[in-house]
Amino acid sequence: MTDTSIPPIKVDIWSDVQCPWCYIGKRKFEAGVAAFGGDVAVEYHSFELAPDTPVDFDGSPVDYLSQRKGIPVEQVGEMLAEVTGIAASVGLDYDFDHVHQTNTMKAHELLHYAKAQGRQLDMKERLLKAYFVDGRHVGRIEDLADLASEIGLDRSEVVRVLTDESYLPDVKADVARAIEYGIQGVPFFVIDGRYGVSGAQDAATFANVLERARTEREAIK
Amino acid sequence: MTDAVSVTPTIPASLPLILVGDSTVGACEGEFCTIPDHHEQAVVNRRLDEDLV
Repeated sequence: MTDTSIPPIKVDIWSDVQCPWCYIGKRKFEAGVAAFGGDVAVEYHSFELAPDTPVDFDGSPVDYLSQRKGIPVEQVGEMLAEVTGIAASVGLDYDFDHVHQTNTMKAHELLHYAKAQGRQLDMKERLLKAYFVDGRHVGRIEDLADLASEIGLDRSEVVRVLTDESYLPDVKADVARAIEYGIQGVPFFVIDGRYGVSGAQDAATFANVLERARTEREAIK
Repeated sequence: MTDAVSVTPTIPASLPLILVGDSTVGACEGEFCTIPDHHEQAVVNRRLDEDLV
């Protein structure tokens, strides 16, 4: 039974929009929260995996990884096929053939704007689905404004704040905090400011650590 | 599960964080995303089952 006198368990999540494990991890985390059964308050934080990627990279993810990392094209294709299979196991229909590799700085700015509107979770889900499933571009201001309007945010306001870089300092602050915490990869979950969970863990792992956090809270109440 | 903006402020992390979970699960660092070994083994096993290798 949930003790309503205890505030929600806070979960801070560092994540990037074009991180395949972040979307898979999101689904596993959500399943863990459901199994936990208590109140959880989630805040997403910015982490850029490839900040020097051009907004309009001309090529597929296979081209990108083979050119940037020197991995043979065939091997990249096998890797993406495996990730696609894992994504399918949690109900996500990844479509790497139509992914637009891009720079995600503006997407992170948009997530901060959405947070200020109390809509960050919806915006995060829309951006991940847009990138991995729908083949939409998540690097250009106009495309991002379209996605924001799809969840009910003010399109013209989004264009303005992204053009003005109003939330760029918030993105940089998130990245700086990630460095401070020693976060090197994503997704990375910080539970109640105490526990760190790295990667797309099983739902049971998330449920267990949330329960542990709740038990500790009850012990000091 | 709720948006945290109006519910709970970001909690300053107590450093170092207590790390929990399997250290071999999938995650992305830089431009590279790892694939868990046990999943790769599962894929190999499936291919063996399907007589593909």
